[in-house]
Amino acid sequence: MAEMLEWLQFVLAPQVINGASIGVAVVLMALGLTIIFGLLDVINMAHGEFYAIGAYAAVALLGVGVPFWWALVLTPLLMAVMGYACERTLIQRVFHSKERHTLTLLLTFGLAIILEDALKIIFGANPLRLEAPITGASEVLGLFFPNYRLFVMALGSLVIASVWVVVFRTRLGAMVRAAAYDRHMAASLGVPVNVVYAGTFAFGVALAGLAGVLLAPIYSVFPTMGRDFVLIAFSVVIIGGMGSIKGAVIAGLVLTQIQSISSLYISPVWGDPLLFGIMVLVLMWRPQGLFGRLGHA
Amino acid sequence: MHKLTAVQTVLQNPIRWLAYLFFMLALLFALVAGIKGDVFFFRLATEALIFGGLALSVDLLLGRTGLLPLGQALFFGFGAYVSALVLKNGIPSFWLAMAAVLITSTVAGLVAGVIAIRAKGVYFALISFGLAQVVSKVVFNTRSLGASDGIIGVPVPQISFGFFSIDAASPGGFFMLVLLFIGLLYAGLAYLMDTPFGRQLAAIKANEHRVPFLGVDPWRYKLAAFVLAANVAALSGAFYPMLRGFVSPELMFFQVSGNAIINVIVGGTGTLIGALYGSAILTLLRSVIGSFTAHHQIVIGVIFMVSVVFFPKGLIGYLVEAIQRRRPKKKAL
Repeated sequence: MAEMLEWLQFVLAPQVINGASIGVAVVLMALGLTIIFGLLDVINMAHGEFYAIGAYAAVALLGVGVPFWWALVLTPLLMAVMGYACERTLIQRVFHSKERHTLTLLLTFGLAIILEDALKIIFGANPLRLEAPITGASEVLGLFFPNYRLFVMALGSLVIASVWVVVFRTRLGAMVRAAAYDRHMAASLGVPVNVVYAGTFAFGVALAGLAGVLLAPIYSVFPTMGRDFVLIAFSVVIIGGMGSIKGAVIAGLVLTQIQSISSLYISPVWGDPLLFGIMVLVLMWRPQGLFGRLGHA
Repeated sequence: MHKLTAVQTVLQNPIRWLAYLFFMLALLFALVAGIKGDVFFFRLATEALIFGGLALSVDLLLGRTGLLPLGQALFFGFGAYVSALVLKNGIPSFWLAMAAVLITSTVAGLVAGVIAIRAKGVYFALISFGLAQVVSKVVFNTRSLGASDGIIGVPVPQISFGFFSIDAASPGGFFMLVLLFIGLLYAGLAYLMDTPFGRQLAAIKANEHRVPFLGVDPWRYKLAAFVLAANVAALSGAFYPMLRGFVSPELMFFQVSGNAIINVIVGGTGTLIGALYGSAILTLLRSVIGSFTAHHQIVIGVIFMVSVVFFPKGLIGYLVEAIQRRRPKKKAL
């Protein structure tokens, strides 16, 4: 029994807490993806690049002497502006085409290629480091965890909770859900659909940027950093149900826990195949994912 | 019934003539490069054709069946690995390697198809993406397949045609062989698209929900197209180790799938020959820009996005429209 408790405290608990700090960031990414898909039907293939840009924006802002806390606020705002511009200039161009799904996917895929190479040109291909603004560690359950990871978890959870409140408990959120359910009906009831669309895209991009800033001090910053990370976010969104906010949160937390705990038993390099294996199985069982789409459930 | 002039024949079926033009240009290139004793451009053109085969398989799914495969490189890499394994560990016979690739890719295509075809629309795109990711990561981490290094030192086969043989190490000979094979794959697919099978695929692409009312099960046709595309991609990939002497897990990565999609879109979706044109032009472009700067992706990306927004029918689609606009209006009888 004592052995069991020790195992829980010293083996399982650290994995669970480390997994949760990554999980919160994954959920932020997945939320952006799923909201954009739920409302605009757009699979944003450039989401991983927006995440990388967020991290680089923090590096650049810190480089010119902006304190980390300001960068944490400024980066998502800058990313939102960028996202808004992207939606108006790119997505809207093909939005009314019959093959919207395919075209927007291809367009954001092209954008991803360009953004990634642009990052390489501007910042170089070598990984950069960002110092964590909070140092030290705190004791949780008799174990020490870096304060910064605990902060990431707390802030991430706060943001996720506010997204939920905004979407499901405010007038703005009702407009977004209405536009997702039936854009024509929403438009005739006075919802400024075009602004809601661009705003939602901007919001999703800002969330990716925020995840980028938050994780920059934990991982190193390099142009292709978004690639593997966005794959996890994609599988989360697919398993949770494309366009489902609840699905993104639950699947995001559960899957990162599975990955984190499984790394106790299998080599971490098998973590991604495991995740994708689960994704394929879930899709075979429920091709539409576990939960319903934004505005439809 | 008067005889058609040459111009009128071209006008009647521009895609077919653009296809003839492609293979004529390829032969002309081979002639010039052969006389000059070139190696570099022969190798580059062979690579363009090999990736053209992959693009062909993408177009079969995307342009003809309405399925967007984001992980078609899976089968390309699969064919390359099977071919490399047969050549290195089995008998270094070209025909044996091709037969092995054909059989194994049919099985792999069936398994992956049964999983992927269940999903519709964007879900199909994402599940094919996921499948390719899983397999490439597994290959990347499997020591017996050379892990991240891949399989190196694949012997160069002699390709026997009974009364004569081609050495895969000879740039010109191997180019002609690949041209012949890709030409046969193209001709086979182009023919198939004119059969009832091809018409069913077109119907599925146009409106999948109406097809069952015609008494046809779309699932079977989609699966058949998926397996066929797997075969085409794998057979093209089988040439890769013969050209380069190695295979690596990168062949299955998203970059390769993505490039194939770019080739198809820029060349002209649904035209089949556009996939080969796109591959040829973009492979050359990547190589030319790549010799000036390491950042050729940004140029390819811009070309791709311009193509998606302004020329959604691609190069061949645009040419066909331009040719048909010149077609004289039919006179009333």
